[in-house]
Amino acid sequence: MPDLTAARAALGRLLAAGSDPGAYLSRADRPGRRPAVGYVCSYVPEEILLAAGLHPVRLGARPGPVGPADSSLQSFACSFSRACLDGLLSGLGGDLAGVVFAYTCDSLRAAAEIWKTRRPAGSFYHFLNLPARLDGPGSARYTASAFRRLAGDLASVDGARPVSAAGLAAAARLTAAVRGGLARLAEVRSARPDLLPGSAFLAAARGATVVDREEGAADLIAAATVLEAAAAGSEPARTGRRRILVSGGFLETDEPVHLIEEAGADVVADDLCLGARWLSLPDTAAGDAREDCPAGDPGSGPCPSPLAADPFDRLAQAYLARVPCPAKHPPGPRFDFVRREAEARSVDGVVFLLQKFCDPHAFDYPDLAALLAASGRPSLVMEIEQGGLTHGQARTRLEAFVERLRAGRSAAGTGCGAGTAGTAAGTRTGPTGRGAGKGAEGR
Amino acid sequence: MTTLLPDNRLKTDRDLKGLILKHYLGAYRAKGVLARRPVAWVTSGAPVEPLLALGILPLYPENYGALVGSRKAAVPYCEEAERAGYSLDLCSYARTNIGSMLARRGELRGRPLPPPDLLVTAKNICGVVVKWWEVTARHFGCPLFVFDTPFAADGLHPEQTAYVRDQLEELVVFASRASGHRLPPRARFEADLRKVLELTREATALWNEIQDLRQSRPTPASALDMFTNLFPIVTLRGTEACVEYYRRVRDELAERVRQGVAAVPGERYRLVWDNIAIWYNFDLVRYLHARGAAFVGETYTDAWGVYDFDTRDVSDPLRTLAEQYSLILLNVGLGIRKERLFRMVERQGADGVVFHSCRSCKTYSLGQYELARAVRGELGLPVLVIEADMADSRAFAEGPTRTRVDAFLELLEARS
Repeated sequence: MPDLTAARAALGRLLAAGSDPGAYLSRADRPGRRPAVGYVCSYVPEEILLAAGLHPVRLGARPGPVGPADSSLQSFACSFSRACLDGLLSGLGGDLAGVVFAYTCDSLRAAAEIWKTRRPAGSFYHFLNLPARLDGPGSARYTASAFRRLAGDLASVDGARPVSAAGLAAAARLTAAVRGGLARLAEVRSARPDLLPGSAFLAAARGATVVDREEGAADLIAAATVLEAAAAGSEPARTGRRRILVSGGFLETDEPVHLIEEAGADVVADDLCLGARWLSLPDTAAGDAREDCPAGDPGSGPCPSPLAADPFDRLAQAYLARVPCPAKHPPGPRFDFVRREAEARSVDGVVFLLQKFCDPHAFDYPDLAALLAASGRPSLVMEIEQGGLTHGQARTRLEAFVERLRAGRSAAGTGCGAGTAGTAAGTRTGPTGRGAGKGAEGR
Repeated sequence: MTTLLPDNRLKTDRDLKGLILKHYLGAYRAKGVLARRPVAWVTSGAPVEPLLALGILPLYPENYGALVGSRKAAVPYCEEAERAGYSLDLCSYARTNIGSMLARRGELRGRPLPPPDLLVTAKNICGVVVKWWEVTARHFGCPLFVFDTPFAADGLHPEQTAYVRDQLEELVVFASRASGHRLPPRARFEADLRKVLELTREATALWNEIQDLRQSRPTPASALDMFTNLFPIVTLRGTEACVEYYRRVRDELAERVRQGVAAVPGERYRLVWDNIAIWYNFDLVRYLHARGAAFVGETYTDAWGVYDFDTRDVSDPLRTLAEQYSLILLNVGLGIRKERLFRMVERQGADGVVFHSCRSCKTYSLGQYELARAVRGELGLPVLVIEADMADSRAFAEGPTRTRVDAFLELLEARS
């Protein structure tokens, strides 16, 4: 058995920080002690916060009942937005120098508006007013202008420094190192889930959005190096387990993934906010060396780089090119990504973890499930609320699903039980015959 | 003695039924061989004026959802969508339409909406309509245009206006191509657009006059009149028929004011309604009416009074459209919404506010608790929050709602 002690220690640090950001931020030995700024959407560029000399912290939800947010947001706001607001109102907001919200969806927009009026006096607030459309002729230009506005506003945070091109370049290298480390771990997760289970990978990803990024990058690279060596020098310990891709939004806890693993399957791939979709961000540091690039359109003149010379334009290009969140239009690239990823990772089945009241995912689900079914991959949909599942029912449904995958038979026509809130779709097995699977809007 | 229709409804209601019928029959005819006209399915916040200027017929699935809801017929369509995997928690207009689309049946003499040639959705009312239209585009294999209007929390930044305006240029080209028309010369298109804008402005001005007439005591029109009379400003905006109809409604209300005719006989309390109507349960409004509570304003109906384009000074009509369509009620922040609500309460002389917390409509509903607190705390007025849904009657609990309504009426009584 390879010695994984160093990897466990590195991943343990990330897991601890991700589980309790408040405790991590208040640590006296937190590297740098830079002012911490929370953010709620993976379209908020950490690069800009880092370049401003700040410590970005991805906000999520704490498991448990909703507290003060209940008096501000109705129960049909998506559970993630309620939980984010609840965390801020419950005290996390006081640990932060400020919060950056972004236009993501209707629920998060409302949470942002409420936090804007409820935040402690002097707490920095910025709404990153991003487009919903990624394919318009003005989308990149508009996104870059929103990024510049954020950079300008951050100057009002106590302890922030002006965002410079050099600062953005350094930040891009750092975030690329973090995502690079995670991407290596994602490969290990896929090839050797016995060494790095999907739940441990997701815990590391969550921690990487909380810890000091230098520290995080070092831990991720250290863990990846150990695990890659271990994978190269050993054979898989377990066999016969089914391979699962999980699809959903921001997972606040590893509990749903743990349950899948306990049911006898490995989560070897994902389509998650804090997973593959985030990691698909192009590396904006790649074009740094091209000092001969003229300003202006990317790829013009003697500059062969596909990336724009202006750092904000370059960031905008990258964020528009990543695998999109379902709240962004068009959805085709995400549909294509999930289909390709399921194939490339030899996935047996897909588990949709739908955040309660998350409209964008819920609208995509039926056609995406049909697309997967058309390529012979059954799926199971489960609703999660504030990170959790109803244990007894969830375990039974997951075990039945994994059993079906293990039996290797098609689930055609059998169904797999209704969703927890009355969604009728359980297992999806075939195209609906209504254009499902095109994954593009034909624009 | 004025002869009143049941519920004291306006005489023009009779014309309205004909208008609705004509609109939908016209849409079926547009799909026929003889009178071929491209049909666009659009959202209620879509910039419809350029489409009309291009000769495209807009159809509003949201209005269809309201129509089905008012016939208390939405649930079977919602269930159809739910069986196909669409969550019960999704917007009931969307589920009603998706269910009708999948089942290929509907409430227009048994038929679903005529299929679209092109789809135009606008994010200014919510993100839901973008996703709903994506589903529709996949179903029909139709070209889809997403009109993206960034959130105008406290107003518009210049880069937002430019971004939105550029999309309008793109929309004109898209709509021409998708409808099989040739792109008209720019001067002709702009002239046609200005004509449509003028019709929209005229209808909007009349609509605002109608709202102003409701300041009278007693009010000549309550929520039932306004909810049903919303149809033309939503679906026929930019047409002569819309202007003509509202001229008649305005005249009828002015006559009622002159004669002192009350929409709610024995008016005692004057209320404002926030959010979409509960289409399947007008009895709730009647219950309030029967106890002397009249609605003198609705943020929902008032929201259609924003399209007051100043056509005398529109050097750049697309820019004007970009600004107006970005600043509609559901695309602005809570601060502006609160200002507009307070202004309405003051202008119409309201004694309380009824908030319909509509689980289907997150952009409208989320934030209402803050608004309700402000009405209570800053204006000192009683509020009522009703938990319901605009089309899916399964989300409405009659008993608990009546109890809350009664408690609210007692509060009003205690203050009178």
